[in-house]
Amino acid sequence: MSTSTPKENLVMEHLVSLTYSEELTPILERYVDALIDGRIVGHKCPSCGRVYVPGKGYCPICVVPTTDADEVEVGDHGTLTGFTIITPVAYYGQTETEPFVYASVLLDGSDSNLGGQEVVGVPHDKLRSGMRLRAVWKPKSERSAEGVSNRGWGSVSSVIDAFEPSGEPDKDRAEYEEHIF
Amino acid sequence: MAATDIAVVGYAQTPSTRRARESEVQLLVPIVTEALQRAGLDRREVGFTCAGSCDYLTGGPFAFVSNLEAAGAWPPISESHVEMDGAWAMYEAWVRLQHGDIDTALVFGSGKSSPSKPEEMWAQQLDPYYLAPLGVDPASLAGIQARALLDAGKATERDFANVVVRSRRNAKDNPNAQVAGDFSVDELLAEPYVRAPLRKHDLPPISDGAVAVVLARGDRARALCKRPAWIRGLDHRIEVHQPGMRDLTTSTSTALAARKAGYDGGPLDVIELSSTFSPQELILRDALGVDADANVNPSGGPLAANPVMATGLVRIVEVARRIVEGSASRGLAHATGGQVLQHNLVCLMEGD
Amino acid sequence: MAEQCAVIGVGQTHHKKRRDDVSIPGLLREAATRALDDAECTWADIDAIVIGKAPDAFEGIVQPELFLADALGGAGKPMLRVHTAGSVGGSTFIVGAHLVESRIHERVLAISWEKQSEGNAQWGLAGGRSRGIGAGGAFAPWIRAYIEKTGAPEYIGWQVAVKDRLNALKNPYAHLKLADISIEKVKESAMLWDPLRFLESCPSSDGACAVVLTNEANGKRASKPAAWVAATAVRSELGAFPGRDPVRPLAGVECAHDVYRQAGISVPRQEIDVAELYVPFSWYEPMWLEGHDIAGPGEGWKMVESGDTELTGSFPVNASGGVLSSNPIGASGMLRFAEAALQVRGLAGEHQVDGARTALAQAYGGGAQYFAMGILRSQPA
Repeated sequence: MSTSTPKENLVMEHLVSLTYSEELTPILERYVDALIDGRIVGHKCPSCGRVYVPGKGYCPICVVPTTDADEVEVGDHGTLTGFTIITPVAYYGQTETEPFVYASVLLDGSDSNLGGQEVVGVPHDKLRSGMRLRAVWKPKSERSAEGVSNRGWGSVSSVIDAFEPSGEPDKDRAEYEEHIF
Repeated sequence: MAATDIAVVGYAQTPSTRRARESEVQLLVPIVTEALQRAGLDRREVGFTCAGSCDYLTGGPFAFVSNLEAAGAWPPISESHVEMDGAWAMYEAWVRLQHGDIDTALVFGSGKSSPSKPEEMWAQQLDPYYLAPLGVDPASLAGIQARALLDAGKATERDFANVVVRSRRNAKDNPNAQVAGDFSVDELLAEPYVRAPLRKHDLPPISDGAVAVVLARGDRARALCKRPAWIRGLDHRIEVHQPGMRDLTTSTSTALAARKAGYDGGPLDVIELSSTFSPQELILRDALGVDADANVNPSGGPLAANPVMATGLVRIVEVARRIVEGSASRGLAHATGGQVLQHNLVCLMEGD
Repeated sequence: MAEQCAVIGVGQTHHKKRRDDVSIPGLLREAATRALDDAECTWADIDAIVIGKAPDAFEGIVQPELFLADALGGAGKPMLRVHTAGSVGGSTFIVGAHLVESRIHERVLAISWEKQSEGNAQWGLAGGRSRGIGAGGAFAPWIRAYIEKTGAPEYIGWQVAVKDRLNALKNPYAHLKLADISIEKVKESAMLWDPLRFLESCPSSDGACAVVLTNEANGKRASKPAAWVAATAVRSELGAFPGRDPVRPLAGVECAHDVYRQAGISVPRQEIDVAELYVPFSWYEPMWLEGHDIAGPGEGWKMVESGDTELTGSFPVNASGGVLSSNPIGASGMLRFAEAALQVRGLAGEHQVDGARTALAQAYGGGAQYFAMGILRSQPA
């Protein structure tokens, strides 16, 4: 067999675009309606009393159903239970270019965190777990259901711009330790 | 030699619908509960859990992770997941039960086809270098298979229509079916082709749905169920992927899986086949060597309800249910994966 | 009584950022052929195939095992596709072992892979949306919680990052070969997900790993030493709920205790000679040492600090260079089992730990909620 110069590897571009469309589940629809109205609602498990925001329709721990009858309203103040500062990586669809805060906020009256929240009004190096925050709501006319989906964690970014320090004293670690997730 | 004293002792399924408002996990929660209740088993007693689903149906990677909530994975559970139909999740659980250190397992399969465009999405299941760029959808491949069957003189379009007529008629007795009713062969043959020689009714409906099964072994099975559906044999075999490299008019992998599962050609009271396109029922009957008057797809089969990733496990439930309820003593269930019957599973079940 | 399972063949690819020289089937065959050669058997000897990978979206192929059946000699055989997030490589190994232990099959090929260069995992992880945080962003808050809880000094993470990269220099298959790695370099590298720096994070790799698993008789007959599967376990828990401890997840604790019990291990720190732990971010080394009760609470980072986890230390962790040096995601978990097998077979080459007889392999996935663990030994029970 004769030897020749190695050929270039053949690389083929094959971009695939798939379309998905679905309605919000009835529970998320109520959740979004309430958000636009300025209220944050969840489901309280009738068995263990844990409050999930948004409601799931069941308690994953007790595996019992929850319904509209189990709906409760939680506060728009909460505690920062954990955070990181993300240096965005470029990929198709990524619009972030500058480092951003990615924080978990435990709303008063809720047992589940709102994950992936932006925190404003405080320098990145002054962020600390346990600090008290309050929601910065968009003006009512600008609120929408965009970004809330049946997948993922039910982002609130189309209703609440970010969280900001509320000025209340920090919570002790013991008070939120069970909610770092 | 695999143990033959593992049985289906509990089951539940959702009705199959064109578009369920609930999320996949919301579909699963009630039926997992119902299947466990039917077996009289507390979820904390379950020895092993295995689920089958497909991320691409939902369109999000790790979509299967939230389905874990239906299993009540707290405290932690011994659990696994296959990116396959729930029938293969049952296979993994059945293998795990062979060890003898645990005697119960929970299995579920779920899928919502409604958010995606199936013809677009499943085209991405083909070889990414040679086939997927062509954009061939499952129905087109099934059309090629149907054409091969006609060309080989093995079937006629009337035979396809007969399968559909019987499926839809049988489905009238199945509360979970999506397509049911009385139709005539001539009326169906008057319909236009969608992928010649296939007409719309030769294709399965687009479905959302979920199914759950409880398995138990030996004395535990007898304690949990008056008449367990014993799994006497379970096997699955795959074939080459390239459709051009196999005879599409036969299913050698089904025949092999049936043999390995110990099916000896004897009489069967019920047969449930994952024939998602009508000609495939003829191919599968032939591969299994079942009689012309055999009781095939009394539920209506996938032509009446096709909750992808649950369809195969539903076949097992439809056979098991008839054994548990006493209307059948011996049955065979079949599941399939991939395009034009690439991968096939056979489950042979008996009552006491 | 279950059949004893032996690992008689181990194979892996040269892991790299891009393996443009091979297709996906070519990548898998490279690992599988090495495993078959090691096991001194052929494709025809394989009775069944178990295949694992992380989400299909990473390469954009739905259930890719269906087309890979052709390249893996799958026709006429059973093929099972496992997907348990990042732990999948470990789960795939375990499902393969179950097929042998249950006596359903005599020889099983378990194989796992990822070809990240043929897709975009960052896009996949973000579900195509903006504000994707990557795996590091998801784990960073828990790493912060570990640091806050234990008071571990920040250089612990840098130390692990350096150790694993130095180990990788001794592993011919490792992706990252950072000959000039140093604490200074890690410390100076960019902060990606505070408190995690660039050099404290795993790379994106193309790669595959395969093992040939067989029964006791074949394991004893093999001309090369076999590794014996003394224990395997899997555990899963909910990813997010009040009361969960994501720093030391209960599923990880219970999974570890299950394998220790099966293998008759009461003091893991003393009875295990070498461990391959899934450490994609440096801090996970001390976190798993504590999370699997190898070290006591707050003691994991001290094992790192004192050099115990180095190649020549008293409890070597990731002698292969670990996930921090090679990360073909779907295969990363199986690589832990494969490297553990190489260690107890005495075939790990330059990164061999002297006298390794008992090895721990561990993989985790999802939001630190899926665990697959095993104990491999140089001798059958």
